[in-house]
Amino acid sequence: MMTDELRALIGREATYTAPEPLGRAAIRYFALAVGDDNPVYTDDAAARAAGHDGVVAPPTLICETNQYAGLPRDADGYAGHTWGIDLPGTRQVRGGNAYEFHRAVRPDDVVTAVWRLVDIAERATGAGQPMLVFTSRATYTNQDGDLLATNEESIIYLAVTP
Amino acid sequence: MKPGLELPPLERLIALPDMIAYAGATWDWHRLHYDPSYLAPRGLDRPVVDGQVFGALLAEQVQDWIGTSGVLRSLTFRFKSLVHAGETVRCLGVVQAVDGRLVTVEHRVEAEGRIAVAPASSTVELR
Repeated sequence: MMTDELRALIGREATYTAPEPLGRAAIRYFALAVGDDNPVYTDDAAARAAGHDGVVAPPTLICETNQYAGLPRDADGYAGHTWGIDLPGTRQVRGGNAYEFHRAVRPDDVVTAVWRLVDIAERATGAGQPMLVFTSRATYTNQDGDLLATNEESIIYLAVTP
Repeated sequence: MKPGLELPPLERLIALPDMIAYAGATWDWHRLHYDPSYLAPRGLDRPVVDGQVFGALLAEQVQDWIGTSGVLRSLTFRFKSLVHAGETVRCLGVVQAVDGRLVTVEHRVEAEGRIAVAPASSTVELR
C-alpha cells in the first residue's frame, strides 16, 4: 500500500488561524452539546473560585472543533483539516487521539492550529488485512504564542477486498 | 489517592439531537453523524456518534471527580467499536498509578455492553 508518493508527504504541515477569539458562546455551546454542566465554563465566579481568571473552555474543545479552520465543506459535509488524500480501494476509520493540555483556554484566546503529518506506517489487522496508519499532530497556540494543547491523531486506511 | 481507586462512572444517553448539537458546536457537519442517505449505502442503519465526543466525556468524568484538587494534563483514547444514535455510554476509570503529584487513570467506555473505547488513559496533576 505504501508508495514513494505517500512517503514524500511525511513532514507536511498546514496552519490554520481563527479569524476571531474563541468566545464565550462557543464555550457554552460545546459544554451544552456534550452535557457537561461544570460551572467553570459559564460562570465567572465559579471559574475564579476554581483558580481561573474567568470562564474557561472544556479542555478538549479546541482539539475537537473546526471553528478555526475556515475550510469549505467537502462532499461528506466535513469542513475540518484533512491531508486531502484519496486512497482508492480503502475504507477510512479513526484510530484514536492523544491530547495534552498545557493551559486552560479562555474566551479571548485566538487559536492557531499547526498540523503536521508525523508518520505513515504500513501495518496489518489481526486478520491480516493490510492497512496504512496516518499519524498527525496538531499544536494549538494563541495570539501571544502561548502553547495551549497538542493533539496526536491516527487515521487508518483499511484495504477493502472488492 | 491510591492505585485501584475507582472514579464515579459517567453514564450518558446520546440521542440524535445531542449528536446534532455536538456537530454544530464543533463545526463538524460530516453526514456520517446524521444523514440516512449517506448511511444506507454504507451498510449503517443508524447515525454514528462522533468518536471525539468520548474525549469530552472522559475529560468531564475526570474533572468532576478531581474538582479543584488537580488539573487534567493529558488524555489518550483508541476507538474499538462504533456507537450509534440512541445508545447509552458508560465511562469507567480506575487509578492505575500515583507518582508524586501525577496520577494516571486507566479508562474505558462501554456502550450497551460493548467496548466502544479502549485502551484509554488520563493523567492528572495534583495541586
